[in-house]
Parts: sequence; structure tokens; C-alpha cells
Amino acid sequence: MSSQAPETSAGTARMQAAVAAGVFGCAVLLAAGAVGIPSNAGYGGVGPNFLPWGVAAALALCGVLLLREALTGGFRATEDPGGGARAHLSAGLWVSAGLLLNAALIGTLGFILSCTLCYWLAVQGLRRAAGQGAGSPRTWALDALTGALIAAPVFWVFTKFLAINLPGLTRTGWL
Amino acid sequence: MDVLNALMAGFATAATPANLLWALLGCALGTAVGVLPGIGPAVAVAMLLPITAKVEITASMIFFAGIYYGAMYGGSTTSVLLNTPGETGSMVTALEGNRMAKNGRAGAALATAALGSFVAGTVATVVVTLFAPWVADFAVRLGPPEYFLLMVLAFTTVSAVLGKSTLRGLTALFVGLAMGCVGMDQISGAARYTLGQPELLDGIDIVLAAVGLFAVAEVLYAALYEGRLQGTQNAMGRVHMSLRDWRRSVPAWLRGTAIGTPFGCIPAGGTEIPTFLSYAVEKKLARGPDLAEFGRQGAIEGVAGPEAANNATVTAAMIPLLTLGIPTSNTTAVLLGAFQNYGINPGPQLFTTSASLVWALIASLYIGNLMLLVLNLPLVGVWVRLLKIPRPQLYAGILIFATVGAYGMRQSAFDLFLLYAIGVLGVLMRRFDFPTAPVVVGMILGPLAEAQMRNAVAIGEGSWAVFVQRPMSAALLAVVLAVLVLPRLLRGWAVRRMALARTA
Repeated sequence: MSSQAPETSAGTARMQAAVAAGVFGCAVLLAAGAVGIPSNAGYGGVGPNFLPWGVAAALALCGVLLLREALTGGFRATEDPGGGARAHLSAGLWVSAGLLLNAALIGTLGFILSCTLCYWLAVQGLRRAAGQGAGSPRTWALDALTGALIAAPVFWVFTKFLAINLPGLTRTGWL
Repeated sequence: MDVLNALMAGFATAATPANLLWALLGCALGTAVGVLPGIGPAVAVAMLLPITAKVEITASMIFFAGIYYGAMYGGSTTSVLLNTPGETGSMVTALEGNRMAKNGRAGAALATAALGSFVAGTVATVVVTLFAPWVADFAVRLGPPEYFLLMVLAFTTVSAVLGKSTLRGLTALFVGLAMGCVGMDQISGAARYTLGQPELLDGIDIVLAAVGLFAVAEVLYAALYEGRLQGTQNAMGRVHMSLRDWRRSVPAWLRGTAIGTPFGCIPAGGTEIPTFLSYAVEKKLARGPDLAEFGRQGAIEGVAGPEAANNATVTAAMIPLLTLGIPTSNTTAVLLGAFQNYGINPGPQLFTTSASLVWALIASLYIGNLMLLVLNLPLVGVWVRLLKIPRPQLYAGILIFATVGAYGMRQSAFDLFLLYAIGVLGVLMRRFDFPTAPVVVGMILGPLAEAQMRNAVAIGEGSWAVFVQRPMSAALLAVVLAVLVLPRLLRGWAVRRMALARTA
């Protein structure tokens, strides 16, 4: 909670500078997008492009100030975000694969199968992150079963009781 | 007498068997998400927002309010038993509560937390009952300039005041405002930042933002950084308070309630400041053997006071939400989204146009509190068992529910990709200590604030001076400035007190 600049390693400083640059980059993109927004203000003095320009300018300023903090001792008053110092990238890839495949396949495979796949891939990643190893064919089968046992009732409750449209593999309404 | 009649009518609506069942379901679900790591009330409500398409508004608002409340009760259980507070509100509870649990007094800590939450929740609901109509009467007289400044006030408090760094808070706010700009402009209908995607014409849905930032980001973060996190769980023990515990708890509950309620009423929400203040006060007032327990065996006042303050703040936060339409936390922002799904914008008119809804909701707060007491005192052992779910399976399961929330809105695979992108953004924000509440509040209030601002300038015939010419808006402008300065002083005071209290 101190407001002094904390001791930060060169690596952290580089990452923080990259984040600051990213914020600034977003501002530039917002400004580029704002050029195409009409400015006709009607009765008031303010048109639909006012807020986009304002936000772009404010974000640009934040980016510059963040960069200054990053380069002069790191972001101020940061708290430990928790967890390890290094990212467990392969675990992140497993979870990402689950989410992205789910997005790509849900329309064709249907909710239950697609979510089971997402669950299965995510569990593999999370288990590796926890240092539990890759598991055996038996645990893999169990994971697939668990995923289906969560996804199927969720599908049925939401489609049958709450009448929310979720895609199925078949037209039966049960799978 | 009007208030009493309205409240009785509210009870009549809220106490129908169907609505009672929704309340019970919400309270149970809320307690579960409060106990479970990786998922909080905001995301639970967000994931269930698609039900607004089918379930009638009173039932779903009662349900959502139950989740919101239940999570506060559940969160204290995790704080006491695992020393991993689910949200900032139970941080202080973890301080003393975990020490009590380590010394075999987990039962007493859980009891005082649940009873304190009940007392504070009920007292604060009475305050909501009495004050909300009064605030609404007053708020009807506000025009666009005042509304705009009230929203600026909410932005300021959420981003600049509550976080640790004003700069990072403001950055998060502007990211949220930028996300809120996506889609069709409310006033002129001009498309903004749609990149030719028809899905983006409707804007980025609040469900996507909340589920992405909280649920998906949480799972990704757990996989990337928290794999080897091993928690140790304290033994439970019997849920029981001795006479001495009672004697020490009751005044602490009342003081916590008195501290928490005003903080919830003003659009400067957030439970961090009131809970820390309550802790500092309890420690200051403790004498002799009671004082000696602080920081050692764990003092029961240090659980009772902050827990009460937490619940009082959370409950009183319903006042700005219902009367002004201004959310001051993640969960109230998502609740505002739920109202919007029904085509209702909370505000002073809500008390006249949707009186039966509002009063049923308020009545359900009384009922919910009572239900939660029953759910949490005798049944606490059941909830604790939830902690036995292995983390990989739990987190992977959350993704399934996240899919329902995101995909159930409009059956678009595009939304699921966007959900992933927002999740990655959430991981970055967490890693570099950017607060996420300003993003959600900025996103949902941004378009409303923009409309008010443009109307205000139109009223002023193009002149910005309209904001200082009207006495009320000038006063609000002054309040915004004061809010930027005062809590910093207060917080500095509280931190110094905490530091003193720890070393003493």
C-alpha cells in the first residue's frame, strides 16, 4: 500500500512499459476509428464523435503517464497479484484451446459435446498447472464423463425450463 | 404510513410460493458462489442474465438479489476457514477470523459473522425502506446536467477513490468507456467502432464483459499462475457463541452497521473503506484481555464489526441503484444490466412506474436475510463441503457456465471469441494490478452518461456553462472534487490506525 516506487526487476519494467504502450496503442486505434464517426451535433453542441475523441485523448494521456511510471521505478502502489512469478504457458494454451474450439464448434457439435470438449481440454491444462501430471487414459475418460455430466443437465435446464436457445447436435432437444 | 402500506404490498408479492422459491434458490446459489473460489456474485448474476428473457421481472430480481446477498454470507465462511477472502469486503474478516479458526474458534467466528450480517442487513434494509422513497422524491427534480454529474461522481469514486492507484483506476475506466462506445449511438444512431461486424451494432453486452473479465479471466489466471496454490483448511468446530462472545459481538455489530450504512448510501460504494474503518474502531475500543486477542488468538469484535459493516454497505448500495440508477460495484452494475434487459432504467421514476416491483424487491431483502441466516448457521457444514471440489474440475466447470451466459444471450459464436478476448484482457489487468470494477461500471454507465451530457449541453444551447450555472449541478461538481480528496485522507487515517493497531 506504500506510494513509493517499489523495487522492480528489469523484466517487470519491460512488461509494464509494454502494457503502457498497449494502452497508448488502444488510444491511437480509438482515435483512428473516431475519424470515421459523424460529428453532426443536432441541437446540442456535442455529436456522436465527441466521447470517442475524449476517451481516445484520455487513454493516450494514461498511456503516457503509465509509461513514465514504468520507466521510473515501476507502477506505483502495486499489490502482489498472487500466484507464481512465471506463467505456466502450456496450461494457458490448453485452457485457451478449450475456449476457442468451443467457440468454433458449438454451432456444429451442439452445446453438450462442445462444452464437454472445452471442459476436458481445460481440465488437462489446469491439472498440469497443479503439477498433477498428464493423467492416464482412465482419468481422461473420467474427465470426459464429468464434463458431460455437468454440460448435459445445464443444457436441459436452460433449454427445457428456461426456454433459452442453445444449439444441439440433433433436433431431439436432448443432445 | 405510505411506506408501510407499500412495504406490506411488497411482502404480499414477495411471499408468493413461486417468489419465495426464487429467493431461496438465489440465496443458496449465492452462498455457494460466495464459498467457492474463482466465482463471485457479479459473475454468477451475469451468467444467469439470459433467464431475463423468460422469467418475469419480479421473480428474477428477487433471485438476483438473493445471489448478491448470499455471496456476502458465503464469502465470510471462506475467509474464516481458508484465509482466502473472496472479495475485498471479507479481507478484514480474514485477519481476525482466520486467527480465531486456527485457535479452534472457527464456529464462534462463523456464528458472529452470520448473525452480524443478519443484523446489519436487516437494519440497512430498514434504512433502504425509509430513505429510498425520499431520495427518489428528491431525485425526480434532477435534470440532465445533475444526472450527468452524478454519474461522473460514480465514475470518480469507482475508479479514482477505491483503487490503490488513481492512474490505473482511470485507465480501466476509460477502457470501459471505450467498450461502451462500441455499437449504435443512442441519440443519433451513428455506428461506432463496429468494424463491419453486425454483432457489434448492438454493442458489447454486459454479460460478455462481466463473464469475460471475472470468470474466464479467473480460470485463465488460475491455469497460468496459480496452479500450485495449496490452501490449508482450518477445522470447523461447533457453530456456537458463548455468553462472552455475545456480549462482545452485539455492540460490534451495531457499530459496524452504523459505519457501513452511510457508505452504501452515497454513490461512493465499495466495502473496503467501511470494513477497515470498523476494524480500526473495534480495536480502538477494545480493552484488557479483549484487546490482547487482536492479532493473536483472534478477537471476535474484529470479525463481528467488519462483517456487519460489509453487509450494511452492500445492502444500502441498493439506494443509489434503485433511486438514481447508479451502480457502485460490479454486482450492482450487472443488476442494472438486468433491469435494462427488461427495458427498465432504474431511477427516481422507478418508485412510481414500477412500485410493486421495487417494494417486492425490498421485501425480499428482509426475507432473504432471514433465509440466509437459516442457510448459513445450521447448514454451514454443507457449504464447507463445497471446498472439497478439486480446483481443476471446479475451474473447468465454470467455463461451461460461462458459455451458457455468453452464448445464451443471442446464440452467436462471435460472442464466444469476444468472451475469450475479454478474458485475456482480464488476465493482463489482474497481473498488472488494474481494477476491473471501473471497466464494468464505465461500460454500462458510459452510454447513459453520454446521453445525459449531450442532453445537458443541448439544454444549455451548446454552452458547457450549464454545469456550473445550475446550483444543484454546481454543488455536485464540488462534491465530485471533494470525493477525490476526502477518502484519500480517510484512508490514510485508517491505514495509519491499522499500522498503529498492529504494532501496538
